[in-house]
Amino acid sequence: MVNIQTHMDFDGQHRAEKLSRFIITLFGIVGLIWGAIIQQFSQTVYILGAGFLLAALVTVPPWPIYRQKPLNWQKARPETTTGASEDKKKKK
Amino acid sequence: MHTVLTRGNAILAYSLSVLACLTFCCFISTVFLDYRTEAKMNTVKVLLKNVPDYGASRERHDLGFLTFDLQTNLTDLFNWNVKQLFLYLTAEYETKSNKLNQVVLWDKIVLRGENAVLDFKNMNTKYYFWDDGNGLRANKNITLTLSWNIIPNAGLLPSIQAHGSHTFKFPDEYSTTSA
Repeated sequence: MVNIQTHMDFDGQHRAEKLSRFIITLFGIVGLIWGAIIQQFSQTVYILGAGFLLAALVTVPPWPIYRQKPLNWQKARPETTTGASEDKKKKK
Repeated sequence: MHTVLTRGNAILAYSLSVLACLTFCCFISTVFLDYRTEAKMNTVKVLLKNVPDYGASRERHDLGFLTFDLQTNLTDLFNWNVKQLFLYLTAEYETKSNKLNQVVLWDKIVLRGENAVLDFKNMNTKYYFWDDGNGLRANKNITLTLSWNIIPNAGLLPSIQAHGSHTFKFPDEYSTTSA
């Protein structure tokens, strides 16, 4: 089976949020300037819409680049022969 | 930001916040503009009748008839926060019973992109010029003014009065049924 990863690590989530904010803000500012130059507010809205689509494409799917700093989990401890584990053995 | 849905929700919410901010910028950029401009108007033919006003009291009230010329250039009023103008021509006068009477005689919508250089000759009014009594006969001081509402993308809906007006008088006698 192919192992498809669908998560972002914490650093990836942080970068995705920063990147989406940056893209949308940039398109908004550019749209405002362009709309003011040609005096069409609809163009401002369309450019912001393009920024939204780009941000959605780049930061919503869990791309592999957002999975480059996985947390270093501690290794699982070896099972000790006390409590619950003993009960299980008895049932078997 | 840990699932597809929360990220989608976050960027949609942020986009809408930015859109509100941009709309506000558009509003601020136009709110202090002076939208007044020159308009020339003139009356061509003025008639006065005294007829029963069946729309109101059935008593005989004064009904004015007039045709007018109107010249103005509204091209400069349009910008990215003006979708259309609603022009209206108002007659203002004083009678014994009322200090201020205002009657809208004619109106017109000018969309952005349409020809905004208006030059009308000998236009009929769109609406009846009823007085609520007999205040029009021999009234020497009827003032025509042109005003407009600006319909914006965002912001206020101001009512602007043009520079320029025209004052005329109604005849002393009612005209008979012809004309």
